[in-house]
Amino acid sequence: MVTIGIDVGAKNAKILILKDGEILISKYRESGFDQAGVTTALLDETLAELKLTRDDITSICSTGAGRKAVTFANEVVTEVSATSRATFEMYPEVRTVIDVGAEEGRAIRCGERGKVEDFAINEKCAAGSGAFTEAMARALELTVEELGKISLDSSASVPMNAQCAVFAESEVISLLHANTAKQDIAKAIHDAIASRIVSMTRRVGLNKPIALVGGMARNVGFVHSLNAAIEDEVLIPDSPEMTAAYGAALIAAERAA
Amino acid sequence: MFSQFETWYRDRHEYARKWKDRTGGKVFGCFCSYVPEEILVAANILPVRVLGSHEPQDVTEQHLFGMFCPFCRDVLAQGLKGRYEYLDGITLAQACIHLRQAYRAWEENVEHPFSYYLPHPMHVASPHAVPYLKEELKNFRKAVEEHTGVTLTDEDLDRGIRILNENRAAMHDLYELRKGPAPKVSGLEAMWVTVSSTWIDKEEHTAEIRRVLAEIDGRDKDFGEGTRLMFVGSENDDTDFLGMVEMVGATVVVDDHCTGTRYFWNQTPEMDDRIEAIAKRYVERPACPAKDHVVRTRFPHILKLAQEYDVAGVILIQQKFCDPHETDMVPLRSFLEENGFPCLFLEFDVTVPMGQFRIRVEAFLEMLMEEDLF
Repeated sequence: MVTIGIDVGAKNAKILILKDGEILISKYRESGFDQAGVTTALLDETLAELKLTRDDITSICSTGAGRKAVTFANEVVTEVSATSRATFEMYPEVRTVIDVGAEEGRAIRCGERGKVEDFAINEKCAAGSGAFTEAMARALELTVEELGKISLDSSASVPMNAQCAVFAESEVISLLHANTAKQDIAKAIHDAIASRIVSMTRRVGLNKPIALVGGMARNVGFVHSLNAAIEDEVLIPDSPEMTAAYGAALIAAERAA
Repeated sequence: MFSQFETWYRDRHEYARKWKDRTGGKVFGCFCSYVPEEILVAANILPVRVLGSHEPQDVTEQHLFGMFCPFCRDVLAQGLKGRYEYLDGITLAQACIHLRQAYRAWEENVEHPFSYYLPHPMHVASPHAVPYLKEELKNFRKAVEEHTGVTLTDEDLDRGIRILNENRAAMHDLYELRKGPAPKVSGLEAMWVTVSSTWIDKEEHTAEIRRVLAEIDGRDKDFGEGTRLMFVGSENDDTDFLGMVEMVGATVVVDDHCTGTRYFWNQTPEMDDRIEAIAKRYVERPACPAKDHVVRTRFPHILKLAQEYDVAGVILIQQKFCDPHETDMVPLRSFLEENGFPCLFLEFDVTVPMGQFRIRVEAFLEMLMEEDLF
């Protein structure tokens, strides 16, 4: 049985194709304004690469903020359930998963078989998300990758409020003017995001081991700060940004069975 | 079937203006559901609850501190924008300080022939609460009498009490229909009914509920398919949000809001001393968290509602910066979850981010129905 999970996030659309439980392929591209057009093109190109047609597909499940744009999906599920389901598949022992994407940070308490027992999402503010690091990297004239890497060179602890992405940018500028080293500012940024994420996670329960998924799991500086905050090492899958798409594909398979 | 209530909900100001034209009576704006409407109705005054309009506005900044709740700002904006220009009077029963400040700013900036600040016991569990409120209500009655030039008799007060109690009883009967497995009333329809009851002539409103109740058995649809939810929070008249929640697969079957059950849940008792009876009613009604201290009656009351209406989960609706409800929110959530009722917390503003809230609500519903999902 071939099933597909499509996760249309705030920044990227992700597709993952599953055959009898094995991942055949996964791809992503910017979701842009025309989410329906982007996901349709992504689907057709990915199928062509595998020499498959839509007739070969048993079920498609969409998820993510733009899931309703995937008009050809026959199943829809929220990213909370999809992420929880995929996490269970990858790490059956994990009961807490943190998912940090472009605009949202989420913490999910997972139960048996990947059931969602509780969840928390950052409130109306992107200060604990990928978009925040992008803004901060811009202020420091760095790429996001560089921002992550240089923060590992710092052992300083510079307090930063980071309640608001715009004000945090002013804070970064002030620190630059005070001749604070870039790596120390970079670490302060990641510490602040990690603190916000951990605070949110405590609302659902911070039970170790903890999995970290979503695009921000690729930011080594954030991961370092998060590990320090939880005093443990988070588990990160090979393709952390594909987690919700993977969960959607798994749910599609289960519902079709 | 509920279209009259929806019209009343949407056209509140037009209704009040026409009521004035039709009856020649006075209309008073009530800030807070603790205003003793019995006394106003006894004086042939139409009490209308002052609520916001859920629109962004830019007129309250110079009157209210930035961290006052969005509801009190929205309320004040209505006065400053002249939307309640037909009011003959305003009155506030003391419950929270944010709304008190909105009332004070309104009073200073909008002209009405009558305004009355009604002190109200905050420690409602105290044995002194009823005697205290009774004395305050005597003063309020006197002020209303002086303003209208009419001395209220026991018969007038009996009529006011009867009219309020009949409306409360009718809404109770409507809520009874929501207890069963296939409610004939949606949460949205119930919200149109309860919220509009706070500004429509009570006798007219009661008659319309009774008309609906007489016909509802023959209704060919029900709302039994939805996941049964309870709403808990302060004031809530956001029909757009409730409509969205029911559109994605829920049925809201009960609430604890001051625009819902807290407003109508208990009756004014029959007593020789009518003013004492009214005082007793407002002291003993389901408490606002501002008044629910040291003795806590609110939590067991909410739990009882959740159990009686057999809800699968609770949406905790928190008006941003509403201190009394913020005080309760953390322990209330733990209390409900310990008693088997999962909760979804949402922070409300004048407008709500519908897309984000929709994801949260859908995820919550998936969480409640996961036996079907996986």
